[in-house]
Amino acid sequence: MREEFSTHPHAHRRLAAILAADIAGYSQMMGHDEEGTVRRLKHVRREIVDPTLEEHYGRLVKNTGDGFIAMFDSPLEAVRCAIVIQQSVAARNTGLPRDYWLQYRMGLNLGDVIVEPDDVFGDGVNIAARLEALAIPGGVYISGGIYEQIKNKLVCGYQSLGDEKLKNITDPVRIYRVLPDPVSFTGATKKRPSYLIPAGIAAAFALVAAGLYTTGYWPVGGQTNLVSIERFPQWVPVPLTSVTNQPAPSPRVEPTTGNTANAAKPLAPSPDPPPAAPASDPQVAILAPSLPAVRMIQTASGFRDCETCPEMIRIPGGSFRMGSDEDPSEQPIRTVTIAPFAIGLSPISVAEWNRCAAAKGCPFALEGSETAPARNLSWLDAKQYADWLAQVTGKPYRLPSEAEWEYAARAGTSTRFWWGRELEPGKANCRDCGASQDPKAPMPVGSFARNAFGGADFGGGVAQWVADCWVANYRDAPSDGLPRTAQNCRENVLRGGSWRSNAASVRPASRTHYDTGVRYPAHGFRIARSL
Amino acid sequence: MGRSAGCILLAFAVVSLLPGGTLAQTAPAPKPSTPQRAPAPDARLYIIFPWDGAQIRGEFWVRFGLRNMGVTQAGSSAPNAGHHHLLVDVTDEIDPDEPIPTDNKHLHFGAGQTEARLELPPGKHTLQLVLGDPEHRPFKPMLISKKVTITVLPVAPARTSKKVSGKGS
Repeated sequence: MREEFSTHPHAHRRLAAILAADIAGYSQMMGHDEEGTVRRLKHVRREIVDPTLEEHYGRLVKNTGDGFIAMFDSPLEAVRCAIVIQQSVAARNTGLPRDYWLQYRMGLNLGDVIVEPDDVFGDGVNIAARLEALAIPGGVYISGGIYEQIKNKLVCGYQSLGDEKLKNITDPVRIYRVLPDPVSFTGATKKRPSYLIPAGIAAAFALVAAGLYTTGYWPVGGQTNLVSIERFPQWVPVPLTSVTNQPAPSPRVEPTTGNTANAAKPLAPSPDPPPAAPASDPQVAILAPSLPAVRMIQTASGFRDCETCPEMIRIPGGSFRMGSDEDPSEQPIRTVTIAPFAIGLSPISVAEWNRCAAAKGCPFALEGSETAPARNLSWLDAKQYADWLAQVTGKPYRLPSEAEWEYAARAGTSTRFWWGRELEPGKANCRDCGASQDPKAPMPVGSFARNAFGGADFGGGVAQWVADCWVANYRDAPSDGLPRTAQNCRENVLRGGSWRSNAASVRPASRTHYDTGVRYPAHGFRIARSL
Repeated sequence: MGRSAGCILLAFAVVSLLPGGTLAQTAPAPKPSTPQRAPAPDARLYIIFPWDGAQIRGEFWVRFGLRNMGVTQAGSSAPNAGHHHLLVDVTDEIDPDEPIPTDNKHLHFGAGQTEARLELPPGKHTLQLVLGDPEHRPFKPMLISKKVTITVLPVAPARTSKKVSGKGS
């Protein structure tokens, strides 16, 4: 309801970060395929733009045909939001032919604007709109005002495009283009200075050298850490964290072809920071002379990296909606993109754990039935097993991230439970899950039906440690499938519920937490491996 | 034409830190299960804050009190010591023979913490402490505090000039 008479003599003004966005080449695409384009745009709005705006405390002010204008209190959140949207849209475009790509151009400005319930006016808005018109498809252009606010807070590259005199704006505006990563200068930009290409190549060499050094790839002997990396055409998923001593997961960077002369192999990203013992380099130890025979053995459901290694199943890459409406800890729901990886068919069993203990990779052996899931383990115990397995096989074993765990558990479903909406006996091992279950102990590994990816024990049994540090909700959580880590993490995330839990805890979205170094009888883990 | 604002390279050099320097060492191997012990006869377990009947707005610290016994880490068999568990809105009896369950109503403090920050939705809530042994089982007889009932008041809406919502108005 508009007030007829305002108590203030002036129009309602405030300082805000304005994001103007527009689809590049929309009319052309509409010409080709009207219905398809409208449908795809609707999906992008509903699945990427709206949730991302909400996560970053943005408000959609109005729609402008195929684009929109949004308003934020915080310029930092506005730029983060823009980057996340562009990355998510780029991820969605990767599977499609070029003609079907929906790409936003985005312009951001910080200004004093006039605000009305469903519109916003002023030079502040016009500047954002002009920047948007100048931006390349998939690009984010920011004004000097925004840049000044975020330059020391948001770590990414910024390319100054100089001062532009914009139509109907009195003073020239300093424009910056936000760079996904300094290496990918492959996107055409008319104003690219000629020395940036050699600078980019030099940067790429430095990156590759740093990456090879830190991941310990030495071209000696037979052991290598070859992994395949998905390539995103323009935007590379970039962790939006400010530079502190946080463990930074190696982003998936593929240097442009001209730079690979020295580096014939891609980088080997390991989503977990490598163990930090400064006194020794664990990666070098992989090449220690006496190792058991390591060769991949195919199994009915997946593979093993050695005869006695845990059985792994391959999980295809893709995107999914992570979270649910049922609990604040599972919100906000957002789209997460997962690169292909492998995960244990089941949680690690007592037998598998005891092999680690016998090899002195783990500090103690467990008692009890060999086919029971290994439990009464802390997160540190689980990590120790993963590090041992990685060392022994030379393969990138680790704990799964919570996004990977949920993605693997759901196996393409979005229902309340991975098998459907209601509880069904025989699907999970929990207190009210039906069927006869031992109230004092979990069932043996692999006792229950498998999900569509072929994985077992994704509901109940032992609650499974994942790599992530516990945060009470998904605000600012990564959308690229990597774990959320923090310095001085004291609590980590557990997934799946246990044989003692209620039914709500065996939903794939359910998450809980526990002290990092403390053991509890119902806690175990399953292992993951980068491919 | 402008100069290239120095590209801030992301920290590709992987500065890896094990979470929590002091936690980097795993605890000693778990000892075989021992029968449940008795607490000190004059031990008292109590909630220092909030008091019974308190009205609280927003997040708050619950402070745990323990008299004539000590707090240690879970898994440690130090004599005359245990670790805290906080029950939030729990109506069922705690099973005296089993390890105390862990979920969002049964909070464990196995690292030896003596206070916790809680955020509860508005309304009445109950809080109660139970002391656990190295294997998270209660002592026999159970050392449990009085149940404290508090009222959480709604937080006043923040004063912003525009309602922030992800949807268009």
